[in-house]
Amino acid sequence: MEMRPQAGVTGSAVFAPTPAGRVVAGLEALIIDAIPSARDFSFTGVERSAGGLSRENWSLDASWVAATGAQSCRLMLMRDAAGTLLSTDRKREFAVLKGLEATDVPAPKAHWMDEDGRWLGAPSLVMDRMPGTCDYLVLNGNRPLDARLNLARGFIDLMARIHAVDWRGVGLGAVLDVPTGAPSQVELTHWESEYRRVQLEPHPELDYVLAWMRASAPQAEKIVLVHGDFKPGNALIAGEHPREHISAKLDWETAHLGDPLEDLGWVTNPVRKREHQIADVWERAQIVAAYRKLTGRQVDEAALRWWNVFSCWKLAVIQLTAVSEFVAGRYDRVFQTPSWLYRPMFQMLEQTK
Amino acid sequence: MRPTVEEQLLGTCRVLENVVAPCVADPYARTLLEGLVANLRMLTSALPAVPGFFDSDNRATATLLGQFQAVVAPDLAARIALALRQPEPDATDTRALDRRNSELRELFSQALCGVGLTPAMRGAALEHMSARAARSPMRYVSTATPPNSSPASQSAKAT
Repeated sequence: MEMRPQAGVTGSAVFAPTPAGRVVAGLEALIIDAIPSARDFSFTGVERSAGGLSRENWSLDASWVAATGAQSCRLMLMRDAAGTLLSTDRKREFAVLKGLEATDVPAPKAHWMDEDGRWLGAPSLVMDRMPGTCDYLVLNGNRPLDARLNLARGFIDLMARIHAVDWRGVGLGAVLDVPTGAPSQVELTHWESEYRRVQLEPHPELDYVLAWMRASAPQAEKIVLVHGDFKPGNALIAGEHPREHISAKLDWETAHLGDPLEDLGWVTNPVRKREHQIADVWERAQIVAAYRKLTGRQVDEAALRWWNVFSCWKLAVIQLTAVSEFVAGRYDRVFQTPSWLYRPMFQMLEQTK
Repeated sequence: MRPTVEEQLLGTCRVLENVVAPCVADPYARTLLEGLVANLRMLTSALPAVPGFFDSDNRATATLLGQFQAVVAPDLAARIALALRQPEPDATDTRALDRRNSELRELFSQALCGVGLTPAMRGAALEHMSARAARSPMRYVSTATPPNSSPASQSAKAT
């Protein structure tokens, strides 16, 4: 789909009737706000992706002429949807991406932010569209075992690099909340609040696990930058075998300051083995050993188990959010009460006794 | 009664897949449509089991609450007693069974998270919740974007 507005005519006048048109018109206005000399815009390949459960993801190529000369960008525009699984803040995400530009963590360069939806109708973020492919089951896909194992090690190496980011040095201490108590309690308070907000009926199973988590929340060994949704499905792989590598880590909307075991607990969570583990060669023990070697951290087993339980519980709350939003008519995908997560959580609680 | 509920749901799936889907070019709308059809198919098999599931769960939950009643806090024990005096809804009235289920599970949750339950009672409660989770007729039907092999798939990733 190509959209080429007439020179001197605002995008909104030309494209307003369709969702893609509104996105293009809003983006043009956002760019003009940031670069007043920009003119002669052209937008091609405008498409809303089928993926993305929490936001609208639009891909497009943009070009324009400004005082500094002709510009062209491959862009991704992430716009808050009417209904979402995650209520997150574009300003924080923009600050994280800007902060990461000064680090060795591969992440898209953020260009512009529509913080309050003034231009695009809802809070939005515009960033580079990075090269590479996204495959949430890449560790158990068709690649040879050595290639998958290299990628698996690459993911943990990337996690360690994220956790090593000097968050104060890149200015994130002023943007993200610095936990004043145990990050486990801070996260639990946040997600319990979300749970109560979206709860439509009693869930004794989740209440029971919540009570256990409250009573056994661990202290953190260190406060680090946590990605918050660390998985192959949020990464791009570039290069052909045997030189494939992780070219970008995406989706920083849930990034925050917290316990490094939160990310490690997410990837060693038993209910998501197919995404994070390779049978026999890259399982929980190997992942933890690799993380210990890379970071020098102890990784307390009981604390990690707590974060495994938390990961399942948080996932359950996210699914209940989808249920609530669907029932309210704001979300278009049908989710169910996450009863499939209950038994794995109970089993993990039993293992802690 | 023909067409039966099952016949109507399956027929709707057929029309959506054979007539509507081929005309939907937009990838986002197409993905949603596939998810909705998959969910309708799940409902087709799940719906007949829903009243029986509620009825069975209500009876099991009530039995446990009857045991918990003696050891929980007095105000909760009084509310449990009141609830247990209510007659069970008609086994075919799904809405009434659903309301009853919520009422009993709310009390169950409070008893479970409060003080007083013996280890044996907690064990029985966990067993009950695990069995309930295994029997729940409604299942999430995954509609995640399949692994993508296109060269520029930041736009096609499943979040």
